[in-house]
Amino acid sequence: MRIWGAEMLELKDIYGGYGKITILNGTSFSIPRASITTVIGPNGAGKSTVFKAIFGLLNIHSGAILLDGKDVTRKSPKEMIAEGVTYVPQGRNVVPQLSVYHNLELGGITARDQSMVKRRIETVMDQFPMLRQFKDRKAIELSGGQQKQLEVARALLLDPKLILIDEPSIGLSPNLVQEVFRTLQALRDQGVTILMVEQNAKAALAMSDYGLVLELGQTRMHDRADTLLADPKVGHLFLGGHIDEEEEA
Amino acid sequence: MSEFIQLLISGLSAGSIYALAAVGFTLLWQASQTINFAQGEFVMVPAFFVLALSVKLGLPIWLAMPLTVILSVLLLGALFKKLIVEPMHKHGTIPLVIATIALGLLIKEMVKEFYSPLGQPFPSLFPQTVLTVGDAVISVPDIANFVIAMGTIVALQLFLGRTRTGRSMQATAQNPDVAQILGVDIQRMVMYTFLINGALAAIASILITPIYLAKFSNGETLGLVAFIAAIVGGFNQIRGALVGGLLIGVIDNMSATYFSAEYRQALPMILLIVIILVRPQGLLGTSEGRTV
Repeated sequence: MRIWGAEMLELKDIYGGYGKITILNGTSFSIPRASITTVIGPNGAGKSTVFKAIFGLLNIHSGAILLDGKDVTRKSPKEMIAEGVTYVPQGRNVVPQLSVYHNLELGGITARDQSMVKRRIETVMDQFPMLRQFKDRKAIELSGGQQKQLEVARALLLDPKLILIDEPSIGLSPNLVQEVFRTLQALRDQGVTILMVEQNAKAALAMSDYGLVLELGQTRMHDRADTLLADPKVGHLFLGGHIDEEEEA
Repeated sequence: MSEFIQLLISGLSAGSIYALAAVGFTLLWQASQTINFAQGEFVMVPAFFVLALSVKLGLPIWLAMPLTVILSVLLLGALFKKLIVEPMHKHGTIPLVIATIALGLLIKEMVKEFYSPLGQPFPSLFPQTVLTVGDAVISVPDIANFVIAMGTIVALQLFLGRTRTGRSMQATAQNPDVAQILGVDIQRMVMYTFLINGALAAIASILITPIYLAKFSNGETLGLVAFIAAIVGGFNQIRGALVGGLLIGVIDNMSATYFSAEYRQALPMILLIVIILVRPQGLLGTSEGRTV
């Protein structure tokens, strides 16, 4: 499914899964650069699995993934980082006993130029002043919202062009969710492309540029976020139903 | 009082060597969930590498000892991981535990069969002299063993905390999924852990064997002590294994003098049971499970 040109990322008919179990059944979509796209869908739709497929953490049976027009299918996480992609999985993803500063440093562990990493740590700490305040504190001592900010900041360390962020609102208070969303919007305004999975569909679509609906490992809808928000089928989907072909037609 | 000080220092010396084995034990657990029940034999066998190189091949002892550390790193580190841990790991923790028990038996029987069933004298790195401090008579090898063992553990802690590789190893141990998505080479970090354990076992072996003689059965006690020290101190903390090792060394020494030589081996067991009942995560361990 292609929309609005100048794509940063394109998935073409991806089939993949865990072992012999196929989760993605011909997933196809593209996302424009410098935008926020939210992926929504029922449990088991393959939302997080799509991210793993893009980031080289999933066995892809067939299909192609293009980043800026370049084929990056089946590249390893390390290679994807080198291509300018970072991934923030759902849940808590800090190294608990390391300091905030050293957690940030790990975001640049693959970089050869470590003096650049030090400069980038200073830059991201300017963007997230809380991290500078607590830079010597163990990551586990931060609150849930602070840990999520640390994860986002760490994902920015190598100046990525695409961030995959999975369920950033889990475990956060509504105020903190808004704070994380504002951070993502600010990054988008700086030219970073963001692909996000979010259960809190209404809030996520409200702050996104585009949305796509996954069901059973296939892209069922892909449109501007405000259009999806106004679509009654989206509400129906999240009330436990599914979109059948007749409805779509 | 002087007797107490002598026993304390002697206990700390033995305990610091136990701690080396216990730290290796916990490192393997943290990095790869490997419970190595051959750890005692890993500490026993490097002494025989030294003897084989010096007595059989005629190499000078100053060369045989560093060569032994290298051999241990390769055989007890890299080869152990490649031949035993990697193939067994996919079958789960219990088959791997059984495999390490079998490996321990194999090493023990091989030493007995191919070297000697008898205890062999082993050269000490240090002169067998004493220092007199007040009324206390303190053995120089005890002090030297303590300094080297503690220095090794401090150096390891500095490596893990102050270098990027060390912090990558910590990330691998504490949260391997995160380490992977950050681009850390997890398999390499786990391999480093096994290599470090090989080196720790060799150092412990070189330090402790002059006390007990080199004997194929030394691993039985050493393995048990390392295991108890790791549990008592906290299976997921290096400093826990250190405290556990020191504590058992001191208790072992004190109990033989002040309590009963017959029950000296029972006291660490009693300590183990009490700790498991009262503080199952160990003295310094954390309940979250896997942290360096």
